[in-house]
Amino acid sequence: MVEIARNVDPDNHALYEGVPAADHRLEMLRQLLVGGEISELSRVTHLLDEPEQLATAVGNVLPEATARASHAQLGEALAPAVERAAQRSIQKNPNTLTDILYPVFLPAIRKSIGEKIDQTFQSLNESLRHIFTWHGLKWRFEAWRTGTSFSAVVLKHSLVYRVEHVFLISRASGLLIAHVTSQDATSEDPQLISSMLSAIQDFVKDSFKEKENSGLDTIRFGELRLWSEVGQFATLVAVIRGNPPEELHEVIRDVLLRIHQESSRALERFDGDSSQLPGVETQLQTCVELQHRDSKEGFPWLVLTAVLLVLIVAGGWSFLSWQSAHRWQTYLSRLAAQPGIVISDQEIRGGDFYVAGLRDPLAADPRSLLPGTEVDPARVHSNWQFYQSLEPQFVLKRLSASLAPPDSVRLSVVDGRIVAEGDATTTWIDRARAAAQQLSAGGPVFDISGVRDVSAEERWQAYVSQLETQPGIIVADHNVRDGQFYITGLRDPLAADPRSLLAGTQVDPARVHASWQFYQSLEPQFVLKRLTASLAPPDSVRLSVVNDRIVAAGVATTAWINRARAAAQQLSAGGPVFDISGVRDVSPEERWQAYVSRLEAQPGIVVAQQNVRDGQFYIAGLRDPLAVDPQSLLSGTQVDPARVHASWQFYQSLEPQFVLKRLTASLYPMDKVRLSIVKGRIVAEGEAPDTWIDRARVAARQLSEGGPEFDISKVRDVSPDARAAEHWQYYVSRLEAEPGIIVAQQSARGGDFYISGLRDPLAVDPKALLSGTQVDPARVHSQWQFYQSLDPKFVVKRLTASLSPPKSVRLSIVQGRIVVVGEAPAGWISRARAAADQLSADGVVLDLSQLSELNLAELNQLREAIQTTDIFFSSGRVVPGPEQTPVLDRLADQLKEFAENAHKAGVTARFMLTGHSDTTGRETANASISAARAETVRALLNKRGVTPELLQVRGAGTFEPAVPENENSRTGNSTNRRVSVTVNLE
Amino acid sequence: MLQKKICMLGGFAVGKTSLVRRFVQSIFSENYLTTVGVKIDKKSVAFPDKTVDLILWDLAGEDDIGSFRVSYVRGATGLVLVADGTRPATLAVALTLRERCEAEFGAMPFILLFNKSDLTDRWAISEGEIDELKQRGWQIYLTSALSGEHVDDAFRQLASMVAN
Repeated sequence: MVEIARNVDPDNHALYEGVPAADHRLEMLRQLLVGGEISELSRVTHLLDEPEQLATAVGNVLPEATARASHAQLGEALAPAVERAAQRSIQKNPNTLTDILYPVFLPAIRKSIGEKIDQTFQSLNESLRHIFTWHGLKWRFEAWRTGTSFSAVVLKHSLVYRVEHVFLISRASGLLIAHVTSQDATSEDPQLISSMLSAIQDFVKDSFKEKENSGLDTIRFGELRLWSEVGQFATLVAVIRGNPPEELHEVIRDVLLRIHQESSRALERFDGDSSQLPGVETQLQTCVELQHRDSKEGFPWLVLTAVLLVLIVAGGWSFLSWQSAHRWQTYLSRLAAQPGIVISDQEIRGGDFYVAGLRDPLAADPRSLLPGTEVDPARVHSNWQFYQSLEPQFVLKRLSASLAPPDSVRLSVVDGRIVAEGDATTTWIDRARAAAQQLSAGGPVFDISGVRDVSAEERWQAYVSQLETQPGIIVADHNVRDGQFYITGLRDPLAADPRSLLAGTQVDPARVHASWQFYQSLEPQFVLKRLTASLAPPDSVRLSVVNDRIVAAGVATTAWINRARAAAQQLSAGGPVFDISGVRDVSPEERWQAYVSRLEAQPGIVVAQQNVRDGQFYIAGLRDPLAVDPQSLLSGTQVDPARVHASWQFYQSLEPQFVLKRLTASLYPMDKVRLSIVKGRIVAEGEAPDTWIDRARVAARQLSEGGPEFDISKVRDVSPDARAAEHWQYYVSRLEAEPGIIVAQQSARGGDFYISGLRDPLAVDPKALLSGTQVDPARVHSQWQFYQSLDPKFVVKRLTASLSPPKSVRLSIVQGRIVVVGEAPAGWISRARAAADQLSADGVVLDLSQLSELNLAELNQLREAIQTTDIFFSSGRVVPGPEQTPVLDRLADQLKEFAENAHKAGVTARFMLTGHSDTTGRETANASISAARAETVRALLNKRGVTPELLQVRGAGTFEPAVPENENSRTGNSTNRRVSVTVNLE
Repeated sequence: MLQKKICMLGGFAVGKTSLVRRFVQSIFSENYLTTVGVKIDKKSVAFPDKTVDLILWDLAGEDDIGSFRVSYVRGATGLVLVADGTRPATLAVALTLRERCEAEFGAMPFILLFNKSDLTDRWAISEGEIDELKQRGWQIYLTSALSGEHVDDAFRQLASMVAN
């Protein structure tokens, strides 16, 4: 055992020295017991002792041992050796390791560098952008405070992006696995997009033979970026709007990695059925939720671009704006040179051109002047108010349009004046004169003195020849000189008044210069008139002209005969003979007796008693109402009615002739029935319809006892014809009763009816009266001549039409006279008066005594308010400032009210808007600016509903200042820059 | 959502594009065909139990087989082969294209369309030829992009083939 121990451990050799070494039995035993172990032990010992052998043995188990070793401990143990080894290797030959790692690192390095460069650029952009801004300063402070770099701070604050869509696309088929979208982001069909995206990936890969196991990294389109991250089985594409930080790549990569980790098998087997991958969308959603908060600042590159381009842009811009301004000025000067265009305001704002002003509708269209100026019409904003230019050529155009001069008149502009020459009628000249007056102070002179009034001369000739045919008027001489008419001659005071004959000839009485000498015409009819006037012959005396002699015949008092005799003597030698030999002288008693005997001879009058006492005449008796009025018989007898005292009792005379009269009145006998008295009997003869015969029979029976017999046996019944004739007669009588219809002739022949006569156009239509008369219209042949009835009713109608009386005037007929009652303006009253004069010649009375001139007191107050209103302007402006708006509003209301009230009163109100200017500037400019102001105000009032026809405009320039202007004042008085209003009534 | 990638293959001017223009949902212009070489459309086919969205890859028709971008077919589950019934040569082109695809990606279901069936007076494919092809178990349709005849039937058939 000691031996064994000595062999196993050399140290034991020494310890157990005492044991004998060479005992072969022991040796043998040893061999028997542990011989195998000893040899194995010596092999192991040998193995351990021999380094080469040991290395081989450890080498055999090292991989296995390493695999089984605790990773942490192994790593810990190996790290220093590996590091040293790598160091050694690199020191020895760096290429070896580089070659080994090259395929591994290159893509990673490349990608990393790319992203780093992008980051750098981003931060550079942002830094540049914010260096000079307020934010820049703030952020610089933040960088200093937090110890981070300025660019990092800038990036942190300024990145703006939003992940709008995330697509997860199968790499194998390009089919969409999942898609999420941020709120309110829209896109086309995601299935199609994902397929197209992978098609494009394929396309790029194929086209450029790129073998790399990745897809398109970034697609950028404007603000939109597509970032894709390629995984083993699926590609994740994020659609980002804005400016994402490069770190986003890592986030996307993480999401894709997570999806692959969780659903690797499902992704690999994806066959288009997305229900196999349920949780994927939630993962994708995290990408969408990444969106960075919106910052109000956008626009990266802006400052950089501005810094780089500012000089170029500024230079270019100033050149361009100078050029466009120059062109604009050219255009403006072209405009300003145009007659009828006034530029009030112009400016260039934001590259656009604004021009405002006035233009005459007859002036050239400002837009038509644009071509050739190279000013872009789309950038021209013009605001033109229409006004009426007072430049002569425009006034000429307007006059040509409004006056419509006849061919014989020529209008032309001569030295700034408008001259009319030629021949024209008075009415045209009057209108031209009115137009000339209307042309305002600033306007050109309208000279119509060169127009000769032709119509007046013709009318004058007609008047003269009318005078020449008048008895009692002798025209000695007449001529026309400078539009004035001269006439001289003789006239009898009893002859027609030459002046009254003027009315209706339209010869202007003011231009007629007549010189008449009165004389007594010795023509018999004038002498007769004069005698009638001076002698006033009684009814019983009749004066007449017989063979140029004046003959008086009849009965007269002695006194009258004496006066007549004296007159006969006075008649001068050359005059006609006045023969009064036919006048018989009577005494009052004689005349009374003659009267009484006349009465007694009257049927139906029974004189019972008569006598004369103390120069008074008394008479009493009976009279039939149908008998003549005894009083009426007095006239012409020269018995003084005042001295006659009559006492008459009425009675019905049964004398046949009275009965006849009464029958005639009651029976309305027709034409064809004749009533006569035959031997004290009343006999009716002829033809009559049965109705008449019936009525006559009743009358015959009614005749009282003692009365004469009424014999109607001789009346033949002609009913049908007679009835028609009766109807016709009824119609005729209706016609005759109609005012304005005068039946001259009517007859019935062969069953047809003929009627002719006169009718007033205003009278009822005779045909219309036929209805209801049972007269067959087809059998009526009528022939009517029109005439003007003097029946007051018709005169009123005609007057209403011709005078068009205002509402405040009423025409009525009172006892055959036409009475005009009410209020009217003076102009109308004078026209009515002229009409009254004309009518009096026809015997119609037009009574104007109750017509009074219109009282305009109520209007006056309003007129005062209007006339004290002024619209004020800023210097050089033709458009009133906004502070004038309330004034304009009130003025418009007042004008409308005034015009309405005036219209109610039958007058037309016209308002003259007069523009004024201060004395600053040239006189001509002031004149036109004042007119332009008036025009503007007219336009503004028109806009507020004032009828433009009522508004007239004129420019007074500086001539009618409200406040006297100081010669030295340079700014001019603002009170004088105004438009005033005056009210005229027509 | 069940989608299947389908490639439409056919020679030049066989009417593939016309075929899909009226019957499918599309957002891309036909310019893609000439630029990218593919245009993607979608045809939804509804079955009682599900709806299959056929994502149709309309590959630019070229008679030159060599320039055919076979990579576009990767991941496809079915093919639509289109031939012009008035030009027998286009049938050969379609079949060759199919062979190329199958060589690359293995066999897959397909339908064969003889297009322009409205041009009967110029029809050049005999009934016999068609019957012979049908004998092989192929799904064959005579279609007209003009009238729409059988187009829907064809897509429905393909959808049922690829969905199972």
